[in-house]
Amino acid sequence: MNAIIKVEHLSKTFEITQSQKGWSGALRGLIKPLKKKIAAVKEVSFELKPGELVGYLGPNGAGKSTSLKMLTGLLVPTSGVVQVNGLVPWRDRTKYVASIGAVFGQRTTLWWDLPVQESFDLIQYMYRIPDKRYRHNMDLFRDILGLDPFINTPVRSLSLGQRMRADLCAALLHDPKLLFLDEPTIGLDVVAKDKIRQFIKHVNEERKTTIILTTHDLQDVEKLCERVIIIDHGQLLFDGTLEALNNRFGGQRTLQVDFAETYPDVSIEGAGLISHEGLQATYQFDRDILSASDLISRLSNRYKISDLSVREPAIEDTIRRIYVDKLLEN
Amino acid sequence: MLRRLFTTYLKFIQIQILSQIQYPFSFLFDVFTNGISLLIFFLSLSLVLQRFDNVGGWRLGEIAFLWGTAEIAFGLMDMIFSGFDPDSFSVMVRQGTLDQMLLRPANITIQIFGSRFILRRLGRIAEGLIIFTISQVLSPIVWTLPRLLFYPVVIFSQILFFGGLFIAGSTITFWTIERIEAVNILTYGGNEMISYPMHIYPDWLIKFFTYLIPLIFINYYPALFFLGKPDPFGMPAFAPFLAPLAGLGVFLASLWFWKFGLRYYQGTGS
Repeated sequence: MNAIIKVEHLSKTFEITQSQKGWSGALRGLIKPLKKKIAAVKEVSFELKPGELVGYLGPNGAGKSTSLKMLTGLLVPTSGVVQVNGLVPWRDRTKYVASIGAVFGQRTTLWWDLPVQESFDLIQYMYRIPDKRYRHNMDLFRDILGLDPFINTPVRSLSLGQRMRADLCAALLHDPKLLFLDEPTIGLDVVAKDKIRQFIKHVNEERKTTIILTTHDLQDVEKLCERVIIIDHGQLLFDGTLEALNNRFGGQRTLQVDFAETYPDVSIEGAGLISHEGLQATYQFDRDILSASDLISRLSNRYKISDLSVREPAIEDTIRRIYVDKLLEN
Repeated sequence: MLRRLFTTYLKFIQIQILSQIQYPFSFLFDVFTNGISLLIFFLSLSLVLQRFDNVGGWRLGEIAFLWGTAEIAFGLMDMIFSGFDPDSFSVMVRQGTLDQMLLRPANITIQIFGSRFILRRLGRIAEGLIIFTISQVLSPIVWTLPRLLFYPVVIFSQILFFGGLFIAGSTITFWTIERIEAVNILTYGGNEMISYPMHIYPDWLIKFFTYLIPLIFINYYPALFFLGKPDPFGMPAFAPFLAPLAGLGVFLASLWFWKFGLRYYQGTGS
């Protein structure tokens, strides 16, 4: 299938004026400003197929929001190509933004003083959504997002979770093929987060909407994304499935064993024993060296086992190791 | 196309107005205080004038005409161009509201026009109307047909002139991030300046506001025409009618600068 988003060698360099120290520095800055070039995004390339849900990750200041601004047409890149549905985002702004949806978790697109329903009506007008289509979508989203209790409340009086639901609805009323979600669960409680995630999944699966999700909440990623793109210092570090990411950079898996009897020494070759108390022991092992079934058979040959469980390394650990230990940089 | 722009604008303005009159008492109080504070300033000036009898040969009624006209126009401008007020525009850019607007499929300039419409400026307009009425009591103008037709043109020109300065001032904040005081000197200071007969100012200041920023043509020269006064600077006879040219010129130049600024903001202007 043809790509819905095509990004090639996307780069953005900002020129910033540095402030210089002291009075003499300030004076020098007036006459000859000290300019410094900062590459926020460097040669990023990727493609997205229709219907994909991709996590776009990276630590703060990695270049995520700069990329997002270029993809949504807010910013023109220094060099590189972006094509979305055959359109260049920054070239024909109004036409392009009419074809996408975007939710920035920290801000609302709705009108602060308007009741939610009136905001939606205004969106219908702006996006020229046909009445029938609008009513159909409205009914659907009211139902699955549970908007009814606050549909006539002014946006400024909504709770964060309610506002986010209203914003998601607003971004989807015009049936965009592509949806940008920036931190859609930020600041929400566990239940609200879960609702939002279910809705995102629903939109992706039922409406085949392509979604680019940026988030710092790795639970979002784990529950929603099959594919992740990781950038740091403006460069693309990883592009692949979550599974591949774990396989390549995943920390160690852990195996927890409940023995049927007490043994004084339960150490075993190929795996590290990290705890042993009473009947319970925990091992750490590397998937490249030893498979889980090998380890289990080794253990059961020697000891009587009543129960066991294997835990995959948490995505959180993996990502942390990539950010902190710079696993992906040369 | 144009009709769509206009309906979009009206829809936005409607929201602004409805939300402001939601609390009628605080709204009316705002309008009242807005108008009254300026009126007090004018009354205190008239007390001073009574001692000196005139300013630069102009009597109180004649100055009230200058003043009232400038206030009506500036009040209207401040209401219509609220979205482009550099003070609030710089905040809009910093808080990302401008980005949110750019994500909507509608003309961005219309959206900014529609983003704010400060109704309490009605206070300033009302104050202008009162001062204008005083001027007609003290030194009545003979309202011939040409004068009657030209007066709204002058108001309109002043709205365009200062509205243009607002747009230019907002555009500058793309580079400076913070609003800059120099722009306020031109807008608020300029409004103050044209409220007096401009021949009282030092020569260099008059030259500046004739040739560089043609403030003199939007209120002072039209007033010479309305009040039937001679031109102390000996400009050509059509000088009083340059107001629309000055207003439109500043407005169009600012719109062009605004478009350029937007391109810079999106990263292609530099």
